[in-house]
Amino acid sequence: MDDRILIARVQAGDASAERELYDAHVERVYRLVYRIAGDPDQAQDYTQETFIRTFDRLRDFRGEAALGTWICSIAVSVALNGLRRGKRLRAREVALDEAATASATERRSEPDLRDRLARAIDDLPEGYRVVFLMHDVEGYTHEEIGRTLGVRTGTSKAQLSRARAKLRRSLADFARG
Amino acid sequence: MIRDDDQPLEPELREAARAYHEPPSVPRDAVWVQIQRRRAEQQRRWARPTRRVWRWAAGVAAALALGVGIGRLSVRTRGPAAGASAPTVATSPAATTPAPTGAASTKDEATAYRLATADHLAQAEAFLTLFRASVREGHEERLASATARQLLATNRLLIDSRAGTDPRLRLLLQDLELVLAQIAQLAPGRGREDLKLITDGLEQGGMMVRLRAAVPAGTEMHFRQGAL
Repeated sequence: MDDRILIARVQAGDASAERELYDAHVERVYRLVYRIAGDPDQAQDYTQETFIRTFDRLRDFRGEAALGTWICSIAVSVALNGLRRGKRLRAREVALDEAATASATERRSEPDLRDRLARAIDDLPEGYRVVFLMHDVEGYTHEEIGRTLGVRTGTSKAQLSRARAKLRRSLADFARG
Repeated sequence: MIRDDDQPLEPELREAARAYHEPPSVPRDAVWVQIQRRRAEQQRRWARPTRRVWRWAAGVAAALALGVGIGRLSVRTRGPAAGASAPTVATSPAATTPAPTGAASTKDEATAYRLATADHLAQAEAFLTLFRASVREGHEERLASATARQLLATNRLLIDSRAGTDPRLRLLLQDLELVLAQIAQLAPGRGREDLKLITDGLEQGGMMVRLRAAVPAGTEMHFRQGAL
C-alpha cells in the first residue's frame, strides 16, 4: 500500500492502519535493533520505543525518504542512545588486544572464529559497527544507510571499508591460517 | 591476507558475521501489546486534568520567576547611574506594562525557558556529580532518590515545554530523564551493582560532559543569588 495513504489513515485515527504500519516494518526494525543490541529484552524495548516515537511523530514525516527508512533511522537512534546509557553491552566488552595476545598461536580451524569476530565487531567504533552491520550483515545498500543515518553515501562506504580493515587486522591469524 | 578493504569479507568471515547477534523471530504480538499499553498510558496521562492544571501553574510560576529574574538582571546591568530611566525589560512582562507586544513577549518567554533549563541542568549536573562521588566512596546517599524524583518532575516539565522543541536539548533531557528515573527508583539497601550500573551508564553516555557543555559556567550560582 502507498505509504501516504497508510499514514493518512493512521493520522485519521484508524487503529487497523496502525497495526498495518507496524506489521509492515516491525521485522526490519527488530532485526536491526537486535543486531545492534544483541539482547532480546533490549531489542523488544527499542522496537517498542521506535514505534511509539513513529506514531507520535508521524505528522513530522515529510516523505523525503521512504517511510521504512525514516522508521529505521528512529530505530538506530533509539538503539544507540539506549546502548550509550550502558547496561549490558559492557559485559560483552573484552579488550581486543587481550584476545589477540591470548590467541596468537591459534589458527583458522579453531572453533572460536565467531566469538573472536563478535568481540572484534563489539570493539569497532559505533559508526563503523552500525554501517558494517547494516551493509555486510543485514544487506542494506549504502544509499539506504546514508538516508537512515543521515550521512553521505561516500561516508557510509568509507566507514564500511575501515570497519572491514579493522576486522581483518583483528582476525589476521585466521586469515593467514 | 586481502588488503583491499573495499572488497567484501572473505566467505568464512562473512558467514561468521551473519551469526553476530543473530535475531530470533520477532515477538510481534508481544511487542504490539506493549506498544498499545504504553500509548494508552501516555494518552491517559495527557488527558488527566489535574496534570494539565499543574503544568499551567508551573508555567505561570516559571514566567513570574523569569520576570523577576530579568528585572534584576536589567537593574544590575544598568546600575545606579541609570537612575531615572526605568529598566525596560524589568517592567515589560510581569510588572507594569499591561500588554507587551507579541515579539517582546515571545522573546521574554524564550529567555525564561532558557534560564529555567540552564538552572535545571546545572542542578542536575551538581546532583549527579555528588551522587557519583558518593557511590565511588561507598557512602550511603539516602537523599539521592528523593532529589532525583524532584529533578525528574522538573525534567519532564521541560521536555514537554518549549525548551523541548530544540532537538539537541530534548535528547539531552530525555537521556537525563532515564538516569534520574534509575536513581529515583533505587530502593534502600540496593546492591552496589545497581549503583555501579548507573554511574557506569553516566560515564559511557557522556552525560556529565554533555551536561557541562550545556550549562554556561556559574549558571546555578548566579541564578540562585538573583544575579540573573
